[in-house]
Amino acid sequence: MLYRTAGQFKTSYEADFALFPVRQDAILLGVILLFAWVILPWSANEFVFQTLLIPVLIYSLAALGLNLLTGYAGQLSLGTAAFMGVGAYACYKLTTIFPGMNLVVAIALSGFFAAAVGVVFGLPSLRIKGFYLAIATLAAQFFLVWLFEKWAWLYNYNSSGAIQVPNMKMFGVYVAGPQATSLTQYYFVLAVVSLITWFSINITRGRIGRMWKAVRDMDIAAELVGINLMRAKLSAFAISSYVAGVSGALFVFLWRGAAEPVLFDVQLSFRILFIAIIGGLGSIIGNYFGALLIVALPVILGIVPDALGVPIRAAVQEHLNTMIVGALIITFLIAEPLGMARLWGIIREKLIIWPFPH
Amino acid sequence: MDLAYQILVKPFADMVSAPDFLMQVLWEGLVSGVLYALIALGFVLIFKSSRVFNFAQGIMVVFAALSLVGLHEHGVPAWLAVLLTLGIMLVLAVAVERVVLRPLVNQPDIILFMATIGITLFLVGFGELIFGGENKRMITEQLGIPTGSFEFEPFGGLLSIQQADLTAVVGAVVLVAVLILFLNRTRMGRAIRALGDDHQAAMSVGISLSTIWVVVWFIAGIIALATGIVWGARAGVSFALEVIAYKALPVLMLGGLESVPGAIIGGVAIGLLEKLFEIYWGQPLLGGNTETWFAYVLALIVLLFRPQGIFGEKIIERV
Amino acid sequence: MNALTRKCLLPALLAMGTMLTLPALAEDSVNVTNLSYRTGPFAATGTPVMNGQRDYMLMINARDGGVNGVKIDYQECETGYNTEKGVECYEKTKGQSIVTQPWSTGITLQVLPKSNIDKVPILAPGYGFSPMADGKTFQWAFNPPTSYWDGASMILQDISKGDLASLKGKKIVLLHLDAPYGKEPIPLIQAYADKYGFTFQAIPVGVKEMQNQSAQWLQIRREKPDYVLMWGWGAMNTGALTEAVKTKFPMDHFVGIWWSGSDADLKAVGEAGKGYRSISWSYPESNSKVMQDIKKYVVDAGQSMLPKDEFDYVFYQRGVVISMFTVEAMKAAQEHFNTKVVTAEQLRWGLENLKLDDAHLAEIGMTGMVPPFSTSCADHSGHAGGWMLQWDGTKFVKSSDLLKPETEMYAELSKTEAAKYAEANKPWPINEDCKM
Repeated sequence: MLYRTAGQFKTSYEADFALFPVRQDAILLGVILLFAWVILPWSANEFVFQTLLIPVLIYSLAALGLNLLTGYAGQLSLGTAAFMGVGAYACYKLTTIFPGMNLVVAIALSGFFAAAVGVVFGLPSLRIKGFYLAIATLAAQFFLVWLFEKWAWLYNYNSSGAIQVPNMKMFGVYVAGPQATSLTQYYFVLAVVSLITWFSINITRGRIGRMWKAVRDMDIAAELVGINLMRAKLSAFAISSYVAGVSGALFVFLWRGAAEPVLFDVQLSFRILFIAIIGGLGSIIGNYFGALLIVALPVILGIVPDALGVPIRAAVQEHLNTMIVGALIITFLIAEPLGMARLWGIIREKLIIWPFPH
Repeated sequence: MDLAYQILVKPFADMVSAPDFLMQVLWEGLVSGVLYALIALGFVLIFKSSRVFNFAQGIMVVFAALSLVGLHEHGVPAWLAVLLTLGIMLVLAVAVERVVLRPLVNQPDIILFMATIGITLFLVGFGELIFGGENKRMITEQLGIPTGSFEFEPFGGLLSIQQADLTAVVGAVVLVAVLILFLNRTRMGRAIRALGDDHQAAMSVGISLSTIWVVVWFIAGIIALATGIVWGARAGVSFALEVIAYKALPVLMLGGLESVPGAIIGGVAIGLLEKLFEIYWGQPLLGGNTETWFAYVLALIVLLFRPQGIFGEKIIERV
Repeated sequence: MNALTRKCLLPALLAMGTMLTLPALAEDSVNVTNLSYRTGPFAATGTPVMNGQRDYMLMINARDGGVNGVKIDYQECETGYNTEKGVECYEKTKGQSIVTQPWSTGITLQVLPKSNIDKVPILAPGYGFSPMADGKTFQWAFNPPTSYWDGASMILQDISKGDLASLKGKKIVLLHLDAPYGKEPIPLIQAYADKYGFTFQAIPVGVKEMQNQSAQWLQIRREKPDYVLMWGWGAMNTGALTEAVKTKFPMDHFVGIWWSGSDADLKAVGEAGKGYRSISWSYPESNSKVMQDIKKYVVDAGQSMLPKDEFDYVFYQRGVVISMFTVEAMKAAQEHFNTKVVTAEQLRWGLENLKLDDAHLAEIGMTGMVPPFSTSCADHSGHAGGWMLQWDGTKFVKSSDLLKPETEMYAELSKTEAAKYAEANKPWPINEDCKM
């Protein structure tokens, strides 16, 4: 009933190509945006902002970047964290070299550095495929993290080797650094994430997205119908790394406040890959589902025993947590290998034909 | 000019001027290489027979070593602990096949890969829950592994060879020899290879997929235990060992995902080269710690010329 | 897209969670949460310290009924030495716990900038950022009784037998964990090298190479240094000691910082590690009154998580000393503010006014376990000094008298680093009321 599409007629091609061919999708999105922009920020406290809302958004963005590459263009990458690191360090250098620079501009620019590095490490994809490529991207992962560690210029030669986010203002309000409130940071992140999501939806629906999908499904066939493989693959690496770089800059500047190279370790890459796969490869919304499961769930699991008053040792709880996440990943892969986005798709289909399934 | 000298001449001059040191470097490289090869072998076996890129090989090493040490701590004699650990690895193999692999038959490779990372996380949590997180000592003496060292004085210098390392190398060679015999001479071994060549054809002649998977995972478990013992003897047993899985990946790239000789030669080659590079180029010129990435970059360069690895099977693509 | 609709359930759930926990706090108790790590690659060295911290608090509750009648609600939040988890723990506990004990230099660096705003003191005994000792700049951070720079200074004094000039022409290598923690002493040792004319070289060990240090030790063999200093932690310590034994490096020329002096690490090499030294600001005195009380009220009562044979360990008893700092600061604050239940801000005053002289240490039954020291608004460390402990094959024994750091050597460096930090994080409040 809620999702009945009867009576919605398309009278032009434009209408058929619209972002929301079904009216209820648009309404649902409106409700979600209302929640994201108004209701959640009002009801959340500091803990919820810092451990759930902001990280979930940033991780979804990173997973979105990876998903463009792996889910749409079919190039498996295990180097996302390193590209995030490039974004973060670029942003740090930009803001320290040009102290007056607007943070939005700095973040937007730092994405380009990540994109450039991404293209360089994407070059092997022209020759290497599948798991070989995945391991090749690990070269980027390990080399770049090593570089963050050794190249003292990147962290302004400070003795700890870690970067610290200075207090930064925009329009007279602190947006980054310890003085910034969580609410401002949340809105900042939400705005960037919304914008990039909108951009990504459109890019994947357009010519470039179709080109990527053709390469993903069978690259030789794609080449035969006249798609330039080099352009398709490298553009995927560039755009994906751009998004990853932006999310890396947000990661450090709008959330963590400080970073050491080991933060961008391969574990982070895997975490983001989990989000993309559990959420659903080749989908945009899946990344949000995945981030909720991988990032938010462990935090919530950590609170449950306390809330229920179950006495459990902190370490034991952490071990159980790891086990549960591992088991959940396996369960999800078995239950729906196409990810949570597909699950939502099935639910939506059912809703559309409900209550007359035949 | 000076830089060119530093890169092209000086390292070799250093090698020649201190040949005993060079020999020590090569020996250390060889020992690490053998260990990399062992882990890579675990990967290759599983990949060949089931197309699963088993990321959990690293944690299996830790898990096997921890079980062994943990059992011994509870008063189980060393030889029995080894047998019991093998039993645990068998249970693990059966469990993985039943719970994870069977429901995921025919899924894309990446899904299976992710599932093995899920297994990794599960085992990390489970292992720490049971054994605790602290660094444990490998029961080297109890297993009868000698702990002294042989000292040679080539060219008036010093070359010290740990007996435990020597045992590791010999043990690895024996293990690999047995494995190759098993794969080539026994019915089961041939079945494994047949499965690696073509699943459908193998199944149609009556080879049971699930039995083979259990066997292969069990063999990988044995290899994990062997790796755990030798590596644990070098530096203790703890979850930090898990990272050695990352060392095996470039070996696989170099050697090819499906080649047993590739894993062995690739492992030894990477062990030797990364140690040489680190000592003679990395430390003086780049600030050290190049071992984290050298193997990857080397493998990447090789792959640009041979996309299927040095020993990999030729990729034939059809539309 | 209903991802976000689900999200709205979370705050509701959380709100419920906090409602359930808050009334659980009894009237007269204070929460002290430790950001512990009993898991992960660093658990080996973390766990004994956490055990010591926990047992002292339990003992105070059992023996005295708390601090002047105020029970200590000791909790742990597991970080696994992971910075992200650490921040999560910090956010979770900052409203309740009167002190933050971040337990890793990485987490300390994350939490430090927030301390001025959240107004919870950070207690980082013997770790963290050395310039934190500058109390005017770092009003909320404390690293008693002595900092890493103090440690480096004391080690150099000891290996030169008090005559630093004798180091001229020698070669000293620092084998360190490649993380902010391991890099801490580099600027200071470099300054010493420039002043006294010895060669200094830092050899980093990446977190991934902790257990496989053969490349680093080959380098040490090639460089032939006179001394190797070690800033290691967790599995790195055992790895280094095993390699040192293998390469036959003379153990009495191998010296570690206090975190590289765990009994468990040395037990792994046993007799072969004889002669290895580690500077320490704590010393185990199992017969002291406080340890006997812990034995009686906690260990024998079956309340402790301590494995049987670890009671005499340096790290366990160091944990006891650390918890003592918190308790003594609470006492000081209770007296000064004439209150029972101290708040985080009052505890800050207490930590700033610790007076642990010999008489007081004797009173609380801790003579000889920690050097006497006091803190002030300008000095948040106390620069207490420490002893050199030497491994005799089975346990650590004192091998030196109380060493004192040459603080004047790096007073300037400390000031500039602190100023640099304040400048980078401006606006950063400086305590102008402190006239010392």
